[in-house]
Amino acid sequence: MRVATDVGGTFTDLVCVDDNGIRIAKSDTTPPNFEQGVMNVVELGGIDPSDVSDFVHGTTVVINALLSRRGAKTALITTQGFRDVLEIARGNRPDLFNFAFDKPAPFVPRYLRRELVERLDYLGRVVEPVNLDGLDAIVGDFKTDGVEAVAISFLHAYVNPVHELAVEARIKELWPEVSVIASHKVCGEWREYERTSTAVLSAYVHPLAKDYLASLDDKMSARGLSSKPLIMRSNGGVATVDGARNDPISMVESGPASGVLGAAALGRQIGAPNLIALDIGGTTAKTALIEDGSAKITTTYKIEWNRTNPGYPIKTPVVDLVEIGNGGGSIAWVDKGDRLHVGPQSAGSQPGPAAYGRGGDSVTTTDANLVLGRINPDLFLGGAQKPDWESVDRAFAKLEDKLGEKKEDIARGVIRIANANMINALKLVSLNRGYDPRDFALIAFGGGGAMHAVALAEELMTPKVIIPVNSSVFSAWGMLMCDLRRDFLKTDVKVLEASACAAIEEGYQSLEAHARETCLEEGMPEDALRLERLADMRYAGQEHTVKISLPSGAMTTSTLEGISKNFHAAHKREYTFELDAPIELVNFHTVVFADVDKKPLPVLPTTGRALEEAHKGRRKVDFDDCGVHDADIYDLALFEPGMALVGPAVLEDPTATVVVSPGKRVEMDAYGNLHIDMRAS
Amino acid sequence: MKPHHQDTFSQEIIKNALVAIGDEMFEAMARSSMSPIIYEVLDYSVGLTDRNGDLIAQGNGTTVFLGMIDALVKHIIEKFGANDDIHPGDVFISNDPYFGTHLSDVALAKPIFFNDALVGFAVNKAHWVDVGGMVPGSFTPSSTEIFQEGLQIPTMKVIDRGSTLQSVLELISVNIRMPKESIGDLWAGVAANNVGAERLTRLYEKYGVEAMDTAMTGLLDYGEKMIAAELKKLPNGVYEAEDWIDDDGHGDTPLRVCVRVEVSDDKFTVDFTGSAPQALGPINHGRTALVAAVRTIFKALTNPQIPANGGCFRAMEVICPEKTIFTAERPAPVSTYWETMLYAEDLIWKAMAEHLPDRLTAGHVLSVCAFILSAKHPETDEDVILVQPLVGGWGAMQHKDGLNGQFSVADGETYNIPVEIQEARYGVRVKQYALHNEDGGEGKHRGGKGVYLDYEVLCDEANFSGSFGRFKFPPWGAAGGAKGSSNYVELIRADAKGGEREIYGKPSQVKMRKGDVVRCVTATGGGWGNPFERSEEALKDDVQNGYVTPDQAARLYRRPRAAE
Repeated sequence: MRVATDVGGTFTDLVCVDDNGIRIAKSDTTPPNFEQGVMNVVELGGIDPSDVSDFVHGTTVVINALLSRRGAKTALITTQGFRDVLEIARGNRPDLFNFAFDKPAPFVPRYLRRELVERLDYLGRVVEPVNLDGLDAIVGDFKTDGVEAVAISFLHAYVNPVHELAVEARIKELWPEVSVIASHKVCGEWREYERTSTAVLSAYVHPLAKDYLASLDDKMSARGLSSKPLIMRSNGGVATVDGARNDPISMVESGPASGVLGAAALGRQIGAPNLIALDIGGTTAKTALIEDGSAKITTTYKIEWNRTNPGYPIKTPVVDLVEIGNGGGSIAWVDKGDRLHVGPQSAGSQPGPAAYGRGGDSVTTTDANLVLGRINPDLFLGGAQKPDWESVDRAFAKLEDKLGEKKEDIARGVIRIANANMINALKLVSLNRGYDPRDFALIAFGGGGAMHAVALAEELMTPKVIIPVNSSVFSAWGMLMCDLRRDFLKTDVKVLEASACAAIEEGYQSLEAHARETCLEEGMPEDALRLERLADMRYAGQEHTVKISLPSGAMTTSTLEGISKNFHAAHKREYTFELDAPIELVNFHTVVFADVDKKPLPVLPTTGRALEEAHKGRRKVDFDDCGVHDADIYDLALFEPGMALVGPAVLEDPTATVVVSPGKRVEMDAYGNLHIDMRAS
Repeated sequence: MKPHHQDTFSQEIIKNALVAIGDEMFEAMARSSMSPIIYEVLDYSVGLTDRNGDLIAQGNGTTVFLGMIDALVKHIIEKFGANDDIHPGDVFISNDPYFGTHLSDVALAKPIFFNDALVGFAVNKAHWVDVGGMVPGSFTPSSTEIFQEGLQIPTMKVIDRGSTLQSVLELISVNIRMPKESIGDLWAGVAANNVGAERLTRLYEKYGVEAMDTAMTGLLDYGEKMIAAELKKLPNGVYEAEDWIDDDGHGDTPLRVCVRVEVSDDKFTVDFTGSAPQALGPINHGRTALVAAVRTIFKALTNPQIPANGGCFRAMEVICPEKTIFTAERPAPVSTYWETMLYAEDLIWKAMAEHLPDRLTAGHVLSVCAFILSAKHPETDEDVILVQPLVGGWGAMQHKDGLNGQFSVADGETYNIPVEIQEARYGVRVKQYALHNEDGGEGKHRGGKGVYLDYEVLCDEANFSGSFGRFKFPPWGAAGGAKGSSNYVELIRADAKGGEREIYGKPSQVKMRKGDVVRCVTATGGGWGNPFERSEEALKDDVQNGYVTPDQAARLYRRPRAAE
């Protein structure tokens, strides 16, 4: 039996796969003791941990600690003359015309940022050896000040970690119980601010993550789990507990990553290798592009970054996704120029949409979907509660006054604007990167995915929509489809030319040796290890790079030619032109996989039930551009493989609502996924 | 039923899509550029105008270009439209500084057609690392006429109906020092414009001409309406300020500049009459730059958040006589235009700060503190030119301390170049990048800290030039706060034998030798409120963190004990 638990902002989801098929369960998330919610959902799902072969776990504990500033008291040691790099940051001010700008405060106050005499040059040669004399006193001060974690970041440590290693070793001698993170271990790339920030934020979450993982491990093994849990990472793979503890920041975006990876895995199973994945939750929508069955991984992630805030960079490998403040709880509001906006503020679950009747006085996307008849009032909140229509009317009345429009028109406007926001995000991952959405299927999941997908696909011109089975807990299922994965990057600029072949091969081999060693130390199974080579490349002189997959086997002049060709093509796709300029390899990137025993989606049993038996009736549903129709309503729970119908229709159960526009044909495949053909109309 | 796509919500969606095009073009440009000044410093701007040259959307890396995009397009329409010489597939190029900034900023504009009719322009303007002239990097404090500052490219075509004019490219290439990078940047600009054109055309295909026209007009009206609502909230009245620019680089005489701001419910008028006449040195700029400066502060005072478009500035009027340093004419030198352009903003800022304490700070670093270090890479022996603006301190506000180490208001989404990249690419060694503790900026709320950035030269010989305004006249304090510290450059010679410090405000081609260190120092911003009123708690925190030395705490923040 394989089990995944996914701790989300509101709910902790469980998906269990065994020979009898798939079971799901949901319970409340229990901050700050998140592992309690996990134990609850395991119990609720009727799981006996001693039957579990793999227990995969995704957690928001890292991102929560960062966003709520509840991490450890952290100190930083830098090269002499550079302790303020963390505070100066990059000096940028995205909120260009706001002269009352607030610069993000550093996670380490200045008095806890200390310096040591040491210096390397950019080639990694020692200019001045590290002087450890002052370190004992610094550590003494840190102890006095109640420091719980220490980051070390020296200039050019990505080329040569010798000084960071010396300082790390000495601190561990002096103070074995403190968390220590050396920058080169969490980021092998150049740019001292970004690497320092990554080290600092890693240290900041380290004690908490360590305790959490230990507690989860203990509690599960006390309940009979014989294997070690596997921990979901942001790179779309899972980690051993040791691996996650050594590099806790790699868990920062684990939830979204598992949804994307699940989509890729499902796509491989059902022969849809090119997908645009869309996960619509309560507060945000996330989207990513999957090409040839795999998602892109980048190291350009930032927390709290937006149009007005420079945020904090974390150069850990994260699935390349775009997240926007548009979900079911997003609030509709009118600005001083009488324009209607949706999000990014969200009513969350408290007070929640107006229809919850918990004091929410703003119209949300969910309220608009209710008014338009898309959400069945009887299934509202899983059927647990009737919508509070009076509260909905009160919320709409405010917008009616401001806009001079009718309730239904405003509701339609809210949905259209929310959809337009999501379209912009979908374009960012596709059109903007040179991909034509017509070559992709849109796969939509999360609480709101199924409701909006068809309208979005129409606008985006994707020929097909896929709503996966159990779409509301799809991310948790995705975790069960992830292999063990750890990424290693190292900046080492090499011109891509025949004479560099040996050096490039050597670069990969040394990175691979280090990668292999680390992974084995962290408990990845030796016989299952599989290494892949990627490279961040650019035209000489450019800064921004394109990630290219490299063939396996030793580097030869002919493989180099192939790589150049791929780079030119990728550059042209992404940036619209290619140059007759030398190409540089900037970052060596090695990915270590260890395959786990995954189970594909099981075939759903069929009873031979007729389509009519799933038919629940009809209701008036607003399909926006396609008009208001009496739509056929079907019970999704009674839907079976092979069943098909043509919209206008709504397929619904307590967890999902699939809105099918007029003329669109929907069919359930053998596994329970719905395929909506957008070309038919 | 309203005509197709003329309903409120379709219109909103089109407007959002138009604004998104600016963002996309901006991204495309950064990603494909060859020069750090573009991809790291983001010293460029992109935009979209309607067919009349009115700004529809702009993507900015810096604030200085707010007003340049539309001015250029209007110039193109005037020069080429009259002869019916604007065609599909054309790309125009221009670095005419009197319609812009300085020669280093090169603009590219592409007319966009739908069904054979002109519907708009996609434009970008970016800082090229070198455009020729008397010094590498093309800006210098010592020029006296535009001809010394580089190649002048009048507004002309570089691509004519789809075919690239190789002769133009060749002419440009032989006149500039880094043709490989700059021509690469030209193609990056062309690509960014293509993205804008492609996206706009798609919108036309989807929504049709009528709905698009309504949306564009509506967007301009929306900008006007949003600003008008905020303008009404500004306190009516007349506000005045004066200040002094250090000198013009050709003498030691400070130059007086002044402003008179008149705010009414529906009009914002600024008058720079009385400011110094056009100068001999390159601190001048043209009227377009003056308008851009006023636009920036006007937006900050009214509504910093909404995307800028031409409608936002309808309530604004700029008065200034001809041939002042704010309204210079050909052939006046302009290569360090920003020093003066920023004064135009800062004067209004200074006049209004205490009247709008929730929007404005005390005086900040102001100068971009841009420098050029030309050297040889000691490992590769290549010629290198490091051009970079610097971060400095921002002024304190009524309720908070100033920002430490932040780019001038001229910049925005501008990034410093990482030390690790500077050392690898330029072969220099950075000795420190740190907040400094020079006196200045004391107040109930402290001015933000300026920085020390020290470069050691590792090759045999190098040259250093730069323009560090507010060398003699530090950032102003407000409401009783102290003025900040100065921007300056100090040369620390390897063979120094003590004696006088070697300090510059406008270093020009200063020779450096192996082992010499150039220390770039930026200002601490002005303080707000009486420093004696700074709370014990805040002061204790300052001292613990080393923002204020114990000596400064006693000397500058507490009343001296009466002499016995």
